[in-house]
Amino acid sequence: MRITAFAKRNIKELLRDPLSYVFCLGFPVMMLLLMTVINKSIPPQANMTVFRIDNLCAGITVFGLTFLMLFAAMLTSKDRTSSFLTRLYASPMTAVDFIAGYYLPLLILAVVQAVITFGVSLVIAAIEGVSLSIGGILLAIVTLIPSMVMFIGFGLFFGCKFSDKAAPGLCSAIISAAAILGGIWMDIDAMGGTLAKICKVLPFYHSVNAARLAVDGNIGEAGTSMLIVLAYTVAVAVLSVVAFRHNMNKDN
Amino acid sequence: MEAIVIKNLTKKYGSFTAVDKLDLTIGKGELFGLLGVNGAGKTTTIKMLSCLTKPTDGDAVLLGNSIREKPAEVKKIISISTQETAVAPNLTVRENLEFIAQIYGISDPSAAADKVIADFSLQEKENARTKTLSGGWQRKVSIAMALITNPQILFLDEPTLGLDVLARRELWGVIEKLKTKMTIILTTHYLEEAEALCDRIAIMTQGKLRAMGTAEELKQLAGKDNFEDAFVEIAERAGKGEL
Ligand SMILES: Nc1ncnc2c1ncn2[C@@H]1O[C@H](COP(=O)(O)OP(=O)(O)OP(=O)(O)O)[C@@H](O)[C@H]1O
Ligand SMILES: [Mg+2]
Repeated sequence: MRITAFAKRNIKELLRDPLSYVFCLGFPVMMLLLMTVINKSIPPQANMTVFRIDNLCAGITVFGLTFLMLFAAMLTSKDRTSSFLTRLYASPMTAVDFIAGYYLPLLILAVVQAVITFGVSLVIAAIEGVSLSIGGILLAIVTLIPSMVMFIGFGLFFGCKFSDKAAPGLCSAIISAAAILGGIWMDIDAMGGTLAKICKVLPFYHSVNAARLAVDGNIGEAGTSMLIVLAYTVAVAVLSVVAFRHNMNKDN
Repeated sequence: MEAIVIKNLTKKYGSFTAVDKLDLTIGKGELFGLLGVNGAGKTTTIKMLSCLTKPTDGDAVLLGNSIREKPAEVKKIISISTQETAVAPNLTVRENLEFIAQIYGISDPSAAADKVIADFSLQEKENARTKTLSGGWQRKVSIAMALITNPQILFLDEPTLGLDVLARRELWGVIEKLKTKMTIILTTHYLEEAEALCDRIAIMTQGKLRAMGTAEELKQLAGKDNFEDAFVEIAERAGKGEL
């Protein structure tokens, strides 16, 4: 009851902010279209396929999730700074109610966002005559669930620890890291060197890689990437819960 | 019967003592006023009583539940209107009210919302997003959110701050009606408000309780026939270390 009430409130709070649509849906869809146009202007001899829709869709979906992280951070930090959370801390709401009430609606939105981004990708693939399997996409959405939890966790953690001025800035750092080091715009495997090593230590490349393999029907090869993402997910989720509990128990 | 028994309640921030060994007993159904200059420790006291801040020392027992040992029980029977307005900005007025009713497990949130909406004359704005309301209206919503849960103990921290005269009088009316039905602790800087509403009043300065009694008794204590003068006198005497 309390979880549902709080989850509903959070979903309303997010969906009633027009910026959520611009960033979480508008941005990924725009990127899909833009990159498809760019892809068309790359001569086939260049043999560069990162921007082809079947390679692109997984990365852009992860890119979209990073914006959901931003909104998770803004929601929690605003609730904190506006003393709305103070009022709720004095209510019968428990730590579990709060954490589930923040995570669940964001997770639902993340799945919806992934479905829409992949859905638009399917349409683009059909127009472009690129083959893209619905089964692969469904599997990719499933492989992305830990990443969704991870990005939401990052958002909650920043929202718990930083003000509504600082949290978005920290989120943009993660957004940039994910975009650059996640292999969304480039082929990390073909790159090698120190940068590639850094990319492979961070979770972002593995989020994209696992989903990309799922899209291609090679989920069998995604094991290592999935494990690495899962480890980060658990760590970030634990961090966010610890940060939230700490906030609840400190002087409010 | 006692609703709130406060013993030796103390809050320190580092070496600074915000609330200093407070002892106080408040009866069931009493409307108790907590007055004091800025920084006297009123909000800190209310925050300790509502389990938002942990006491450094001492304890308070609210209807049999210690704030140290049974905060979860305490939270079920209290409600707080914080000094700052606390509303969900993108929810409508009605949604804010029903949301609070739901988390306190009120059986019919919509009917409960109808009632406070009528009590606070919020009808014309009930479907407006709360962030689009003026500061005073948001304030009314914030207080209404504390009342919808029908608590046994209610904390009102400067409820009338930022309300116009009409809204303030309206809130007085609402509080008058609640009197005896629940125990209320009210802080305010409007002395006429405390005098008009409160059964008993305590005056705090520098974290310490300096005087307590009915408005009449405090006037007598200070030797003044106007409550505001009495308050100033008591605060000044406390400042000189005479109380
Ligand atoms: N979290 C905190 N850390 C350090 N000091 C604090 C903290 N909260 C309150 N204080 C200090 O404790 C003292 C009492 O503050 P409190 O808010 O209880 O006063 P108040 O009586 O409610 O004042 P006002 O009438 O201005 O609301 C103040 O000196 C304040 O600076
Ligand atoms: Mg105060």
